[in-house]
Amino acid sequence: MNKPLLRAEGLTARFGGLTAVDAVELSLPVGQLAGLIGPNGAGKTTCFNLFAGRIRPSEGRLRFAGQDIVGLRPSRINQLGMARTFQNIRLFGELSVLDNVLVGFHGGLKSNFLSAILRLPGYVAEERRMQDRAAEIIELCGLTRLRDEPAGSLAYGSQRLLEIARALATNPKLLLLDEPAAGMNPQETTGLAALVRRLRDELDVTVLLIEHDMRFVMKLCEHLTVLDHGRVIARGAPHEVQQDPAVIQAYLGAGEPEGVAP
Amino acid sequence: MRLQSLLKPGGLLQPGPLPPASQSRRRDTLLTIGACLFAALGLWLLENHASGYVVHLSCVGAIFATLAVSYNLINGVTGQFSLEPNAFVACGAYVTALLTLSPAEKEASFILEPLIWPLSAFSIPLLPALVIAGLLTAFMAFLMGFPVFRVRGDYLAIVTLGFGEVIRVVANNAQSVTNGPLGLKGIPHLTNLWWSWGLLAVCLFFIVRLVHSSYGRALMAIREDETAAEAMGINAFWHKMLAFTLSAFFEGVAGGLLAHLITTISPTLFTFFLTFNLLIIIVVGGLGSTTGAVLAAFLFTYGGEWLRVMEEPMRILGWDIPGIPGMRMVMFSLILVVMMIFMRRGLLGSHDFSWRWLAALLGRRARP
Repeated sequence: MNKPLLRAEGLTARFGGLTAVDAVELSLPVGQLAGLIGPNGAGKTTCFNLFAGRIRPSEGRLRFAGQDIVGLRPSRINQLGMARTFQNIRLFGELSVLDNVLVGFHGGLKSNFLSAILRLPGYVAEERRMQDRAAEIIELCGLTRLRDEPAGSLAYGSQRLLEIARALATNPKLLLLDEPAAGMNPQETTGLAALVRRLRDELDVTVLLIEHDMRFVMKLCEHLTVLDHGRVIARGAPHEVQQDPAVIQAYLGAGEPEGVAP
Repeated sequence: MRLQSLLKPGGLLQPGPLPPASQSRRRDTLLTIGACLFAALGLWLLENHASGYVVHLSCVGAIFATLAVSYNLINGVTGQFSLEPNAFVACGAYVTALLTLSPAEKEASFILEPLIWPLSAFSIPLLPALVIAGLLTAFMAFLMGFPVFRVRGDYLAIVTLGFGEVIRVVANNAQSVTNGPLGLKGIPHLTNLWWSWGLLAVCLFFIVRLVHSSYGRALMAIREDETAAEAMGINAFWHKMLAFTLSAFFEGVAGGLLAHLITTISPTLFTFFLTFNLLIIIVVGGLGSTTGAVLAAFLFTYGGEWLRVMEEPMRILGWDIPGIPGMRMVMFSLILVVMMIFMRRGLLGSHDFSWRWLAALLGRRARP
């Protein structure tokens, strides 16, 4: 077995008296299509914020691509190869679809600002390459028709796709998708599932996604981690997790309280 | 498949052959050079045939346009609402003036306390003085950036406002350097059309090119959503710092030219009102629009003069109205209010001039 791409050990986030994420253990092998599920308020998005460096963990360790990433700036973690999308879409609304994707390349830019201003050959070549790659990514995500539209004017589903496109431009090893199918119609959801699978199969991107659409998750993910009240209550293949009594209780709140198995 | 090379490590930005210069880019360069030559001809005509008053106004207009364009870089493009340009203009003005004033003139001016030693003994030409002033102002902005960019939004505005006041107070009290409230007099009148318009051209070259590069996109991304920009690998702190120091550099140099245009400077010139005027200019022009900043700066400079008509005695519908001093400021405020009601996003919104836009406009007109 190769080493995990992302590894969380005893990851904990406390906000005052509330423990949003409680001693979460997670190990994500390279190339896996994994899901993080759980009822509302289980701490899924907080987990993403911890991974991506937006929140500093109260306790615990986080290793990504063989490096300790606790305390790094979100931009640094992104440059190491972890990209994310946001649950409440955060696009650059006034910028065009193309510019949104181009922004994703900026973190990898080698030319400094003076060579950008003076349009030195090195920068011109980089800019040209960014434009070409951006066109490819936009095509891949099926947004070519909309490339000059301001991102804020796009339909909800297209905005979700653009978030993925922008994240792809940062050249990620790991892609964190926070409810990518939320607000999509069934047809768009099917397209999204195909896209995510392509990203993994063709571009070797490891994917971890949060999603409430259970059919989408069960069809797409190879491994699931279930969170409830900030704790991992189950993990395993989708069909195993589906039958887990702890999971059923967490979702439906029915039956006798049982021992919560890790 | 090309897609597969897309996300491989190092696959994105490897060195490769230069792309051929596109036809439209060459056309745009030619048009820009042509426009510059045309502007130079205009300046030459102004210099030789216009009155001193018009020449002075044109210089003021160009200096304010430079200030507005640089201020817009941090406030409009990067979206960091800051209120300190008066500090940078003051810094540039004082530094250049102290460097170009002759030792004899300095000795005559500093009556209360003599000027400290190295500055009192020499003077240098305008160009190196402007460069030193710009670099010093940029350095000041750099140091200021560390505490200032720890906060955002309204807090940033208040912190920078505080810094602006600090500089004015320092200018008032550091008598052995700034001559305190007396200010500096007898600064050589070296600023002419070529200096002021030349600076505007250089400033536009740098800032327009920056905005239309990957760095400009990053700055706008920070304006749109800082959290998302960070998550996309953009170090927001250093990019704000870049915009801040670059805008401070040009504000400092413009301050130097302003000092050599009006030949007398004192701390009262660099109060919050200077910042306030610049803020009005960039908001009226359209936050984020460089073209709007230039347009509004000239409107602001010339408009104040055109409105003088308002203060003269008039005869309207048989009524004799005596000249009311200050009427033009009332009119000016009214115009601003009406503008903000009907053009909330300023003259140009966040749009900018480009040759492509002009070509498209003319093409549409030409079609039957």
